[in-house]
Amino acid sequence: MDELSDEKLMAAVSARQQQAFRILMGRHMQRAVRVAQRVVRNSAEADDIGQEAFLRVWSHAASFDPNVAQFTTWLYRIVLNLAFDRARRRPLVPIDEASDVRATDPEPVECLIADEERRALEQAMANLSQRQRGAIALFHMEGLSGEESAKAMNLSAKAFESLLARARATLREHVQKIQNSRRYA
Amino acid sequence: MTLDQFRQLAEIWGGDIDRWPAATQSPARVLATDDEARRILNEQLRLDRLFSIASDVSDHRAGRIGFAVLQGIAKEDRDPPWFGRLFRPAPLFPVASLACSAMVGLWLAGALPYQQPQQALSVVSMVFDSATVAWWGVQ
Repeated sequence: MDELSDEKLMAAVSARQQQAFRILMGRHMQRAVRVAQRVVRNSAEADDIGQEAFLRVWSHAASFDPNVAQFTTWLYRIVLNLAFDRARRRPLVPIDEASDVRATDPEPVECLIADEERRALEQAMANLSQRQRGAIALFHMEGLSGEESAKAMNLSAKAFESLLARARATLREHVQKIQNSRRYA
Repeated sequence: MTLDQFRQLAEIWGGDIDRWPAATQSPARVLATDDEARRILNEQLRLDRLFSIASDVSDHRAGRIGFAVLQGIAKEDRDPPWFGRLFRPAPLFPVASLACSAMVGLWLAGALPYQQPQQALSVVSMVFDSATVAWWGVQ
């Protein structure tokens, strides 16, 4: 069953086969939580969203149509809807990225530089809207194509393009500001 | 493709031309040999590099969330919503037996010939008469 495509596994999930569902979770849980964390910027909430998203996958499996969208696009749409909904309800969120342990430890100096850059990115991401964060997360961090990202966000290709352009411009401006302020501090 | 269009595309899609819309890639690669175009790409690549060091979700954390999902599914199966509970076999037993009794009663009422036996009527009147003299009667 491990070699089956996501779409075939979903057919098995519709037939209430938990084994297929476990494989899907194993394949996609990390990316679901990662995208949620980018939008809500809180690891505990991202965990809840990941959990809720897969509960919906299980309970709404019958409504998934592989002819309309890929499984990943469908999953990202569920995750983003849940994340936007939570972020709307609670607009002020603390930056919380410290709970993750990196799988491979780089050299100490590289680690410091990476941590500093990561913090700068997190601070800059805080200045984006939820949808802009979603666009950055899907296209740049998850590596989806522009078309796939637009589908996952339920946007037209043109609308996604302008969303991504604004997100990148804002991000670049803030990263620059943060790096300059650290340089002169 | 002009340099301005090239810059615009780089600002939207980043410094990696392979990730630009398919139709723009070939003309962009031709232009990318130019010094100014290379400078634009490098500027965008600096931002792209930041995304690649973004934090990851550990296997342990993903496994923990997956376990919580399976627990949630098991709980849902154990405690279905009220409409689910209504149609489970156990609560249906009394309802089904009552319905069966009613159907048998209706069938008997239709199948048997209608008559009022004198004996049955006298039993009914005796019950009502005794109620009038008993402690639960109206008098």
